[in-house]
Amino acid sequence: MSEPLLQITELRKRYGETVAVDGVGFEVRAGELFGLLGPNGAGKTTFLSIVSCLLEPTSGEAKILGRKASTRDKELRRQIGIVPQELAIYGELNARENLKFFGSLYGITGEQLARRVDEVLAAIGLTDRANERVQNFSGGMKRRLNLGAAIVHEPKLLLLDEPTTGVDPQSRNHIFEEVRRLAGTGVGVVYTSHYIEEVQALCSRIGIIDHGKLIACDNLAALLTKIPGLIRFRLGETTAGLTERLRQIPDAVLKDSTGLGLELECRDLKTALMKLIALLNELNVELVSLELIEPNLERVFLHLTGRALRD
Amino acid sequence: MLVWTLAKKDLRLLIRDPRAMVVLLAMPLIFIFVLGASLGEGFGQKPDDRLRISIVDQDVAFQDPTGKDPGPTNRWSEIVQRDLNQTAGIRLEVIPTIEEAQHLVDNSKRAAVLVFGPKFSERMTRSSFMPGGVNPLFRDGVDLEQLDAHLLRDPTQLTAASIIDQVGQVTMLRVVLPWMIGRAFERIGDRLGRIVQHALRQMFPSYNLTGKTWAALTRSEPRTGAGAEISIYEPPTGSGLLGRGAQRYQILVPSYTVMFAYFLVLTVGWLFVAERRQGTLKRLRASPLSRGQILLGKLLPCFLLSLTQGLFLLIAGKFVFGMSWGPEPWWLLPVVLTTSLSAMGMALLVASIARTEAQVAIYGTLLVLVLAGISGCLMGDREMMPENMQQLSLVTPHAWALIAYRQLLANAGPPNLSLIAQSCLVLTGFGVGFIFLAWCFLRLDEQS
Repeated sequence: MSEPLLQITELRKRYGETVAVDGVGFEVRAGELFGLLGPNGAGKTTFLSIVSCLLEPTSGEAKILGRKASTRDKELRRQIGIVPQELAIYGELNARENLKFFGSLYGITGEQLARRVDEVLAAIGLTDRANERVQNFSGGMKRRLNLGAAIVHEPKLLLLDEPTTGVDPQSRNHIFEEVRRLAGTGVGVVYTSHYIEEVQALCSRIGIIDHGKLIACDNLAALLTKIPGLIRFRLGETTAGLTERLRQIPDAVLKDSTGLGLELECRDLKTALMKLIALLNELNVELVSLELIEPNLERVFLHLTGRALRD
Repeated sequence: MLVWTLAKKDLRLLIRDPRAMVVLLAMPLIFIFVLGASLGEGFGQKPDDRLRISIVDQDVAFQDPTGKDPGPTNRWSEIVQRDLNQTAGIRLEVIPTIEEAQHLVDNSKRAAVLVFGPKFSERMTRSSFMPGGVNPLFRDGVDLEQLDAHLLRDPTQLTAASIIDQVGQVTMLRVVLPWMIGRAFERIGDRLGRIVQHALRQMFPSYNLTGKTWAALTRSEPRTGAGAEISIYEPPTGSGLLGRGAQRYQILVPSYTVMFAYFLVLTVGWLFVAERRQGTLKRLRASPLSRGQILLGKLLPCFLLSLTQGLFLLIAGKFVFGMSWGPEPWWLLPVVLTTSLSAMGMALLVASIARTEAQVAIYGTLLVLVLAGISGCLMGDREMMPENMQQLSLVTPHAWALIAYRQLLANAGPPNLSLIAQSCLVLTGFGVGFIFLAWCFLRLDEQS
């Protein structure tokens, strides 16, 4: 197994009494797409600021390519690309000028810079708008350029902080494709978002952060096993005897038996459903409605934090 | 190299920002144009409270061919002028031609002009109480017409014209009366004998009846000193609608060049705040740039912009408003350079403190206008301020820049180069001080 590109150990950042990042630790390998999921104010941006050498941690460390991230390490910054939450590009410049400027800040010059700028423009789908002032771009185009500005110097580690805020589906797909392509070339990606669907669709491994703490970190399948599936149903009539028989279904837990709405939690949705149907047939009870809820990240988050992500 | 990359980007942003161009280049030109058009020709010249007596002197020297009336060696008009000029509270202005004098009176530029005709000396010489002589005295004093002199009057300024008339009358009496008495007294000696003449001398011991001048007649000490310098009237400089080349532009152009140099505070402040707000500052910090490089990358374009502005306004001053660059034009360069340095320093200081565009606009404008007011930039001419305010104004860099510019562009004599060098040194001190403070206050890691 290759050396981790990013190694976070017991990272902590405190602002007075407020702990923004609280003992976070995980690893990201080259080519890996790591998603960091958490609500606004969970500590994602502070975490990224430390990893991108903009902020010193209070304790713990973040190592990038084996070197400790520090605000004083200018060379290490060359290995990092950061896509801030804000549209950190210049509206009065055109797309090409923006990319050239950010590329030249990393010491790329001449033909190499021109080639890289062309490559990035093509990658983010802005070649035909390259010479147009950015202030005339749509929100989605600006977001794509925001990504382009972070990758023009070919970083080994790409940090994305809510990169799709307010973008149209087409631009979101563009960004996803480019992020996947970059990961395919060996770039390690840390993708922070509070959009569960994005992280679920894009990332191979996911960390869930809340109140500065990393409360779960695993691949999607493993995270989903943390919570059961759910069968939500309503019956024509409910009796005490029926409720008792429902409780006896193996590998399932009857969660809510108040009123006519019932919920059955189970690890194996298919088996539990067949047993439920068989029982209702046997007792000749009418099934009014039925809903199967697979385990998903939103429910994992709710399960782990006790609140919905967008609360 | 990285600093230049950053500077180039900021220069490009500044050039593309219409606000910057309007504030830094268009507004000062508009100010200079409007004030230049609305201020009078006397603006920029020291106020003179003395009564101005304007004269036209066409007098021709006269020698009596008979030798009976040997007049003074000078022309009589010169004697009158000297008397006027030695009178306290009066300044004498000589207008070269009668046409010009008439034009000035017709246009209410002068209330009255005293004109000495070509026969003034002859008539004065021939003035006498004796039969056959010219008698210039009448009920109201001296009849100027009898002496080939007259007063041009502006009918719209009768009071001022009367004052000038009375001053002229008194002077004429002081000149013509002793001359006439002296001549008459000589004749008494000739005709009635020395005894009568002697008896009269005994009767009026306080007077020298043959004195022929007021001082001699009254046995007073003659006035000493040459009096104030007699000025020669010069038509107002400047031509066309703008009054190109007028003296006022020697004051207005540098004043507003200095005032608007410090409007850089707004442009740079907006640039900094926008950088924070957009998050691009975060991206700059995440790049391999040091804090010093980022600051230097900001300083350089500000300085170049300010320098361009200063040079542009001086060039516009010359070619648009006909301003002269003075006898030492190369000395303008260090003044522009050091003014730009202090303006850039102040701009960075404000940018390092202000957090929002509104703060930049409110506090920046307030600061710039207050300092312009204290320094004297705002009213155009620093010399119009009271002495104590002029001293107080030295706490502003503007005042030092104005002192240097005034020496170079509006000084009556040759410019005082050591004072200009001192001003440049003080401006450099302001610039360095502001930059140091900006370095202390500047927080690059702050979110807007």
